[in-house]
Order: sequence, then structure tokens, then C-alpha cells
Amino acid sequence: MELLPQALIDGIMLGAIYINIAIAFSLVYGVLHIIDFAVGEWIMLGAFTGYHLTLLTHVEPFLLLPIIFVIFAGLGLLLQPLIQRVLSGHKGNPTLMALVFTFGLALMVRGLAQTFFGFYSHSIPSRFSAGSFFFQRGSFFVTISSVRLLGLVYAVVLTLLLNLMLRKTDFGLAIRALAMQKEAAGLMGVNATRTNRWLFAIYVGVTAMTGVLIGVILSVASKMGPENSILAFFVVVLAGMGYLAGVPAAAFLLGIIQSIFLVYLDPGYTMMAVFGILYLILLVSPTGMFRRGM
Amino acid sequence: MQCSKGLALLAASALAIVAGAQEARDYYKIGVVCELSGDTVTGGNVCKRGYDLWAQEVNAQGGIKVGSKKYKVQLFYGDSQSNPSTGAAAAERLITQEHVDFMFGPYTSGCAIAVGPVVEKYKVPIINGSAESPNVWLQHFKYSFGAIPPVNFTGAMAIQTLAKLEPKPKTAVVFGSNDTFSKATATAFNAECEKQGIKVFKFNIVPEGQDLTPLLSAMKGLRPDIIAFGGHDEELINLVKDLRQIDYTPKAVLMHYGVTEPAFVDALKGDANQVFGGAVWDEATKTSSKILWKDSQAYATAAKKAFGVPADYTQAGCSVSGIIFQEAVAKLNAAPPLNEATREKLIPVLEGLDLQTFYGRIKFATEGDFYHANVGISPLTVQIQNGVVKTVGPAAVAEAKAQYPMTPWSQR
Repeated sequence: MELLPQALIDGIMLGAIYINIAIAFSLVYGVLHIIDFAVGEWIMLGAFTGYHLTLLTHVEPFLLLPIIFVIFAGLGLLLQPLIQRVLSGHKGNPTLMALVFTFGLALMVRGLAQTFFGFYSHSIPSRFSAGSFFFQRGSFFVTISSVRLLGLVYAVVLTLLLNLMLRKTDFGLAIRALAMQKEAAGLMGVNATRTNRWLFAIYVGVTAMTGVLIGVILSVASKMGPENSILAFFVVVLAGMGYLAGVPAAAFLLGIIQSIFLVYLDPGYTMMAVFGILYLILLVSPTGMFRRGM
Repeated sequence: MQCSKGLALLAASALAIVAGAQEARDYYKIGVVCELSGDTVTGGNVCKRGYDLWAQEVNAQGGIKVGSKKYKVQLFYGDSQSNPSTGAAAAERLITQEHVDFMFGPYTSGCAIAVGPVVEKYKVPIINGSAESPNVWLQHFKYSFGAIPPVNFTGAMAIQTLAKLEPKPKTAVVFGSNDTFSKATATAFNAECEKQGIKVFKFNIVPEGQDLTPLLSAMKGLRPDIIAFGGHDEELINLVKDLRQIDYTPKAVLMHYGVTEPAFVDALKGDANQVFGGAVWDEATKTSSKILWKDSQAYATAAKKAFGVPADYTQAGCSVSGIIFQEAVAKLNAAPPLNEATREKLIPVLEGLDLQTFYGRIKFATEGDFYHANVGISPLTVQIQNGVVKTVGPAAVAEAKAQYPMTPWSQR
């Protein structure tokens, strides 16, 4: 029982990382209907960019996040028209073709990363890596790592900012309109091409920033993409595909289940439990745990 | 109709003759199955460096001397993609399509176990320069040999070294990642802890790549003296970072395999110091040899020159696999290409080898649980001290005193 508060806090911290991985991915699926298999590779590239920029500039990596965002948003702006071209095709199954396109992109990026960045794992140094907060009351104790707390704050801020963007800006209104009814939104004057392009750019930029966070908390390696892609898919499917508001809850649930299994039960069954719960939820509610997915 | 039947028969016969005829060549073809991509890409590429360095060195000397002639070697790589079944397919392709004379094995034990039946089927000997799980040798594959002793040798030695330190560690938690090698490592740690009277609070096999912070935070309350972990490079780095983040410093952290890789110190910097690991070789190991590299230092210098980073024992084990091959073919007087009968004759030659190499003694067991594993070499306990891997056990070969207990993170 004494371990329960620590287990829950660690689960929430894990969940915060998962929110950062999945939130922009959920947004881009909801509007653009792009299942981006390369989501993990954006994280990997962002991590490597953050690592090399930190080495070069000796600046705290969290201060480099805006630069990472700009670089990768720019990349997203260049890439989105290619994906859109595949999605707009009239032959075959465009959605499937876009999925295959992003899968191929992921493989190519992974191979190039291994060639240019090498096969060793690295770590992004940060002044926040070392600290922690310790609380004790009787036999209950809790340690909260500074950098993971920062990850949680980052996840909350990111979620709030994205929500603010969706609810309070014209751009957000355009995004919501496109998600609801693309043709009607176009008739109402929403420039779908431009909106989609900027949305994809934001998604790539935000996802790459998450790579820096992961590189500080954990490590950076050219092979880190696939496991992050799986986590992104897991959270988004559990939340309901395209349902942004469900992502934090799904992410925290995933983190807490893992934490409870690691602490109280056999860690070897963690993945079985996590996927078992996913299957059960999808059996009962195929559109996600809140029944709001697409 | 009869004419076309006759033509078809003629064509089939011609094809059979061509397929059956052995290519004439004056170099050895060696197939290498390696993890050149996927989760264990780091270890796979460390192995590749070892094999490449041997090939480079032996070719620089004109090749392997068999009789009065020298024959160069050419390596043909197959990527297992860190997947045992892909590794097995790669091995089959190298044997049936590239017609290799011999094989060198992968980094991971899982892949080595998958490749074993393939080389048995086609009767092509393989030397595994890595692959430390005892399960590899329990299979009793006639055509598989291993340059590195199983991890129950290496892992046990590390715990024995720790058990002799003052204040004597009394408790431990032992984890292993869920793959063949890491599970075997954790099992070896656990078994030796019990033998040494060190109480193991928790022994768990955890999912590969799992963030262990919740588990370590829970263990912090128990305050184990030793945290012992079996895993690979990235997992080891993450574990040390986790301990730093939760501000828990046990008396000793023991991890295997990855502590001896240069990336471990490079990633963790000062936090890597005082971490213990297992090994069977390092550049300070006192060895003497007349084959290729005269001692450990000569090999270490060659490796640093070739790749810019210090060599670790896995890379060295892969290079010595090449030395084993060259000595075996020289002893048998077997010039390339090697046919099935010649490859069959290599087995007793390999079994009978007793070599002194830069790596240490090579002597394969010919029966029992370590069948065809190298039992000539002694395991070492190493520790990172000031960013350098130092041998700290056993006492007879230690080059430095173990730094124990670990300095708390906040005081570093």
C-alpha cells in the first residue's frame, strides 16, 4: 500500500510522455485522415537534432525547442503536399496508399538515420536531469524526478495550447470545420489545402519537440522510432482515432497500468495487460474508450 | 513432341551439372549473419567491426597460409534485422546462393539459436563471436562454436567480485530484459547472488525497452545494495538515467552487456563512473600470441586506429572467431572452396584446437552443457573509472581496485 502513491505518480509521469507522443498525431488523423507510420521517426529525428544542437551550442535543450519546432514544421510544410497528392488520388485506395507512403518514409528515414547518425545510443544532457523532489509521510514516500515533472508540465501546456488553438482561433475553427465536413467547409471559404499544410507542419514540429524531451529523459538512438510509433498508435486508438480530448486520459491509463504491473505484479505481463485492456475496450467500444473516435 | 522432350531433358541435365559443379576460386567466402538494423543494431555493428578488422588484417598479410599458398578472405553479410527468423533466412541465403565456405555468427543469442539448425542442415561450420546465452550450447549443434563463454560464467564472476567487497552487499534486486541473452544474464546474477548469500528482494524479467522508473522507485524504498540488470546498450543507459532521476544510489550497479561499449560512457559521462560490468577481455588483459596480433594492446591499438573508438570484448570475440577459422583451415590444409566433406573434417579440427590468441586461450568444450563454447578463457569483472573500463576482478588479474560503494549522485 505504501508504494501506491509512488506507482500512481510514476504512471502519470509515463502517461505525460505518451501524451506528448500521441497528441499531435491524433489531431492530424482527425482532420487529415493521415495514418502517419513515420510518427516515431519524427520523434527520432527531433531527438537527434536536439542532441547535436545541444552539443554545438551548449544551450539547455528545452530552450532549443522553438528552433526544433521551426525546423521540423518547415519540413512538414514541404512534405505535406506529397502526402496530400497520394491521398487525393482517384485510383485504388488513397487512404491505404497514404499509409504505405508513410510506412515507406519511415523505413527510409530510419535507414538514413542509421547511416548518418550511426548506431550508438546517446543522451541529451540537461540541467534538469539530476534533480528530484522527495516527500515522505509516515511509511508513504514519493520521489518525483524534476525532468519528468517538466515533461508533465510540457504535456499539459501542449494540450492546453492545442485546445486553445482549436477553440479560440480562426485557424482552429477551420481545422474543426474540415474535420466535421470537408466539402461544406470548402464551400464556406476554408482553404483546405493551406490549412492541411499548416496543420501537418504543426504536427511534425510538435512531434519532433517530443523527441528532445525523450532524449533528455531516456536516450536517443536511430532505432527508437518504431517503439514510439507503437505507443502513438496505441494511445490514439484507445482514446478514439481523431478524438483529441481523449488522448490525455488514454495516455495516463496506459502509464498507470504499466506502473501498477511493474510494481505490484509480474512486469513480464505488462504488455499483455496493456494490450488486453485495449482489446477489451475496443470490443465494447470500437470507437475508443469515450466512443468519440472515427 | 519427342524432340522437345529431349531438349528439355538436355537443358535440365545442363542445369544440374552447372549447379553441382563447384566454383573455382582462390579466396575464402565467409558468410556473416549480423544485426545490421533493428533493436540490437548497436551490438550487431560492434560484431561487424570485429569481423571486418580480422578480414582486413589477414588480407593485409596476404591471406591465410594454407600449404605454400596464401588465400584471402571475403566476408558476405546477411542482415538479421534483429529478428531470429530473418537471421535464419539470411543464413540460408548465404549458404545456398552465395555458397560460402564458413559462417560467422550474430550478436544475439536468439539469432544464433535460429541460425544453428540452418548450418546443421547444410553442414557449414559457424563460429559465434558473440551470443552468450547458455541456451545456445544446450542445443548441442555439431556445427556451431562460440568464442565467448556463456554468461553464466561471466555473470557469476561479477557477483563473486562484488560479494568480496567491504561492506559486503547483503541484498539485491535483479532484472533482465525479455530476450534470450538478457534473461540468461539475469538468471546467472540471481543464481550467484543466492549462492553468495545475497538476498534477492525481487527478480523480474521485464519487457524489452520498458521504462523501469516505477519499478526502481518502488525498489528505492527497499534500498537494495546491488541493482543487477541484464539488457542491451540503450536499456543500460536508461536505467542509470532513471536511478539518477529518482536520486537513488545503491552500493553497486551491475549491468551486462553494454557497459564496455564506448557509447555507454559517451552518453552518461560522469554518471557512468563506478558502474560494474562483466567481460572476458579488455585491452589491459595480459595475453601473448603469435597469430595476427601479439597481445591485447596490439589489438586495441589496431581497433582504435580502424574505428576511432576503443574495442570491447564482443568486438574482440568476433575478431578472434576469424583467427580460429584461419588456424583450423591451415591445420587441415583446406584450400578454398570448401566442399561438404572438407567442412565435415573441420569439426574435429576445431574441437582439437588449443590456441593462445590476443584474446586469451581458445579451447572448445566437447561435451556437457557448454558443448562447443570456449571454456579456455576466464571471465572478468570490470568497472568504469574516470570514463575508462578497468578490470577489478578477479583479484589475480585486477588492474585497479573496485570503487565501492558508489558515490551518491548528488556528490558527483
